[in-house]
Amino acid sequence: MIAGKTFRELRWMALAYLLILEALCVPVLLWWPDIYADLQRSSLFRSLPLDFAKRIFEGITDKDEGIAYRNWVAVMLFFRSCNLVGTAAAVLFGTGLFARERENQTFEFLLSRPIARGAILWQKLWPAALCTVLPLFVVNASALYWSTHIGEQLPVAELFLATAHAAVFLLFVLTLTAWASLRLRVQAHVAAAVGAFLVLQIGVYLTQRIRGFSLFRLVDFEWYAPVLAGNTPWWQMLDPFHRHGFTSWLLLATAACLVLAWRDLRRAAP
Amino acid sequence: MNPAVAVRGLDVRFGVKQVLRSVDLTIARGELLGLCGPNGAGKSTLLRTLLGLVARQGGEVQVGDRDPARDPLGVRRTTSYLPGENGVYLQLTGSAYLDFALGFFPRHDRERRERLLAHFALPLGQKVRSYSAGMKQKLALLAALVPDVDLYVLDEPDRALDASVRFVLRDELLAMQRAGKTILLSSHHLGEVEALADRLVFLLDGVFVADERLAAARAQLRRRPRVRLAAGQPLPAGARELHREADGTLVVATDQDPMQWLRACPDGAVDSVEIGIPRLEDLYQLLLQGAGEVQP
Repeated sequence: MIAGKTFRELRWMALAYLLILEALCVPVLLWWPDIYADLQRSSLFRSLPLDFAKRIFEGITDKDEGIAYRNWVAVMLFFRSCNLVGTAAAVLFGTGLFARERENQTFEFLLSRPIARGAILWQKLWPAALCTVLPLFVVNASALYWSTHIGEQLPVAELFLATAHAAVFLLFVLTLTAWASLRLRVQAHVAAAVGAFLVLQIGVYLTQRIRGFSLFRLVDFEWYAPVLAGNTPWWQMLDPFHRHGFTSWLLLATAACLVLAWRDLRRAAP
Repeated sequence: MNPAVAVRGLDVRFGVKQVLRSVDLTIARGELLGLCGPNGAGKSTLLRTLLGLVARQGGEVQVGDRDPARDPLGVRRTTSYLPGENGVYLQLTGSAYLDFALGFFPRHDRERRERLLAHFALPLGQKVRSYSAGMKQKLALLAALVPDVDLYVLDEPDRALDASVRFVLRDELLAMQRAGKTILLSSHHLGEVEALADRLVFLLDGVFVADERLAAARAQLRRRPRVRLAAGQPLPAGARELHREADGTLVVATDQDPMQWLRACPDGAVDSVEIGIPRLEDLYQLLLQGAGEVQP
């Protein structure tokens, strides 16, 4: 019941999120041949002061157009759409999960129902998680179709692995936001706190010497490009001690946020 | 048979603030108990403790055969609770809210549902957002009264309801009691709770007021009639003004029995008088002033 209600509350926002992702995906894929030709002639990016921007440029101007296209997908679908739009959606979906109940004075009603608090958390989180990650898989799967229109091919398994990693990152953001939603009680405070944290992370990412400390280092071009190139098998993603094992760290961080949220919900008083 | 609710020595603190102090309460099965007290007395905290929503620092609580701290889910399966904040979801339609709220309980009293729906005449197809405060309360009441459980814990069920709906509620609660249900309700309408409840308990600053002290306060209140004097008339001798209300009504203290004082009043001096109808706010005031306390 709680899951159905949560899903009904999020479904239109999830649809809008899917449409935005798709609207961002289609033009950059269909215009790839022109973009590739323009990039070959451009030297603008070579003069950028950030080394990661230079590496992105080198990747998307690779002499092998197939490799360059995969790198383009890594930049546009993952580094841009998932990290920005996906993160915004996860924060949006997670912010109100509990804080809205408190603001609308329905939290006591919810807690007094004959249902375990763990079940309340689960029934609120899984529809939000589904609304966050399903559009990602749908849009990235549609990239397979759009690619055929421009004579390119994307590797299905690699695309799925990269999408799964992006999904895990968004699940981490969602559970972090849900936890904040339990602790901070007011939706605006939750959005401000998580938003400030993420902006700080972006700021750190854009600062050359400390970039490695940013959360977005786990989901940047340099992580996605090898996966889409087929150089990162799935078990390396799940090995926390491997240099490509960021997925395992994100899974652990997601689990930690879930445990914290569950602990706080168990202790929560009306 | 175990009582429906048994509380012994209950202590609840929020930080350094002691909200309930060594509270003892027993509610027999099938009893309708009224709980009164001023704001901040600890009424809602007591009700929440019975549901296992608030942790206690001391004492014992049994709801049916269960301790709400150890088995809160078991308690909530057999208890229907109306929170003080009615807890209706504004974004749902009335019927969607009812389906949601009632879906947590396996057994419903369908006759009661139909009866209350007919009395309340709620536009269930509309979003709750468009409801008035009274309509929201009616919806919350439906969600609280329709589940077929052993115990009903109702925090100010008559809030925002007009007199006619309060009568419907009273009749329904009496019918539920006749059917063997146990009901604990808190309310600010003293007269109606008194008429309805088998027993009335007063919570003041986290402790129950002893019956003797309450009786003394009520006796004292009986000597404080509310009087409206005729235009230009002074207060007749034998009474002194305690305070004057905004509408000009005087609350007075009489030296003798108020009926005797009234009989002795000159003709035409008094327009109207109210004797022996205790108002909750007056009772609180007296109790807070220490009325009925045993003097050392």
